[in-house]
Amino acid sequence: MARQLQPGPSPTSVLTARGVARGLRQLLPISLFVVPFGLAFGIAATEQGLGALQATVMSVLVFTAVAQFAALEFLTEPVAYVSLGLVVLALSARNIILGATLARWINPLPPGKRLLTLAFLTDANFSVAHSDLQRGETDLGPFLGGGIALWTAWVAGTALGAYGDLIGNAEAFGVSAAMPCFFAATVVGTLRSTSGLMVPVACAIAVSALTYPVLPTGWNIILAALVGGALSLLTNDK
Amino acid sequence: MISELSYGLALGVMIVVVLGTRIAGAVFMSWFTPSPGIERFLEGLAASVIAALVASFLVTNDVKLTAAVVCAILTMLATRNVVWAMLIGMLAAALHPHLVQL
Repeated sequence: MARQLQPGPSPTSVLTARGVARGLRQLLPISLFVVPFGLAFGIAATEQGLGALQATVMSVLVFTAVAQFAALEFLTEPVAYVSLGLVVLALSARNIILGATLARWINPLPPGKRLLTLAFLTDANFSVAHSDLQRGETDLGPFLGGGIALWTAWVAGTALGAYGDLIGNAEAFGVSAAMPCFFAATVVGTLRSTSGLMVPVACAIAVSALTYPVLPTGWNIILAALVGGALSLLTNDK
Repeated sequence: MISELSYGLALGVMIVVVLGTRIAGAVFMSWFTPSPGIERFLEGLAASVIAALVASFLVTNDVKLTAAVVCAILTMLATRNVVWAMLIGMLAAALHPHLVQL
């Protein structure tokens, strides 16, 4: 994966309302695909014992599909806060790379706008906006607008799933399988797009399964992630 | 079922961690340039933690879930579409009891 991390000369960036509107329109089609995920999360969260409002508020304030799904596993008394934090951190670590890649356009903005823009950082609006920025675009509005479109769809989907009585018996819809199926598909997608991760991921799976019976809640996943991360440092795909 | 307090604390942990990762990259870049090694480590970490979660689910759950995950993986390989993979996996889980009874 050859993302440009070198800072280079900082372009003069702007954040315009017109750009935000363009981003909203640009990411609207992709956002529609986010609604079913939100729906699945809303149902899964209420199945886990969260209130409909609690599930929706989580989507409003956290806005990250994978880590929110994963967090549900930890929302039982007593809550293993350290494991929860570490798993969420490992699942969100990609954001650090995305943010670093956008830094040369985002850092010239005033602090308030910088924070606002980064709060809506996700894979989808990053990949759309980054290619435009590399072609000379200086407006971060489309990036922010895209993020707002995705956030709206995620929150709307969650609320629909959490409040919707239309669902009836959630188990009849295979809701408990939504999260593992989504995760498995994500891994397959990553393995296809990024070379050199097959061995680290296979080892992570083995470590997770083998250490599950002996480690406290969530620590098998953290150990497996660290093993996978360390092994991906050693693998050379060139 | 968890208490309001536990929910609030857990939510706080999630907000701080996720927002922290969103901001961290740009902040770090104003200090130093991350090496390709750090980039590879974070990529490996992100893929491994998801795979580890799936493995954790499969060792603690039943055949139904394994069947659903296998269907999702096959759908992903065929369509390259995460939404379809998730929906087909859910469908497999929903239909599984009926198929076993046949």
